[in-house]
Amino acid sequence: MKRHLTITMEPIDEASLLAGRSVSSAAGAVVCFLGMVRGTESGKAITALEYEAFERMVEHQIGLLFDVMGKRWPVESVRLVHRVGLVPVGQPSLWVEVVAPHRAEAFAACQWLIDELKRVAPIWKKPMGAGGR
Amino acid sequence: MRVTVCFHSWFKDMAGCSRAEETLPPGSTVDTLVARVLVRFPKLADAQRSMLVAVGLEYRGRDCALSDGDEVSIFPPVQGG
Repeated sequence: MKRHLTITMEPIDEASLLAGRSVSSAAGAVVCFLGMVRGTESGKAITALEYEAFERMVEHQIGLLFDVMGKRWPVESVRLVHRVGLVPVGQPSLWVEVVAPHRAEAFAACQWLIDELKRVAPIWKKPMGAGGR
Repeated sequence: MRVTVCFHSWFKDMAGCSRAEETLPPGSTVDTLVARVLVRFPKLADAQRSMLVAVGLEYRGRDCALSDGDEVSIFPPVQGG
């Protein structure tokens, strides 16, 4: 399984990521997920989220998730980008792409990866603006 | 033995620093270290029930034995995505 993880301070460049997509003739499904910063946090308006990551541990923990994912589903490739630093409302903080032979495993693997990332990746967010700190 | 404690997210604000050194007796565990940290940084006491601990890059429980030179990270629940 090909795997690629990026933790970046820069805005997520979807066009560049899509241009870099590689799909073999054995793959019949590409699931792509974009996590956006909402304009409210706990019911209060915010202008941005400030993400902080313990990067070495994020890389290690997501690497472990990729290992498990490759054993559970016949995934051809996975790419994951998480933005850190200040991410304004309306911009993506997370981009995930899973390529697999069929849609069921591509959806399942992508859903599982995001759920697990939220559970184990040491990343924190602080709301900014009127409803933030 | 000496270990380095690293605080992340708002635990860093509560501790007032991002890193601290602790000297512990041989055979100490994460639990020993956390107890020591809570005495030294009492503002963290209210958060201890939600506290997560990693030794190196792995999550560890309170009974994990520590070694000289370990880097122990202490942080609140994670919120990625």
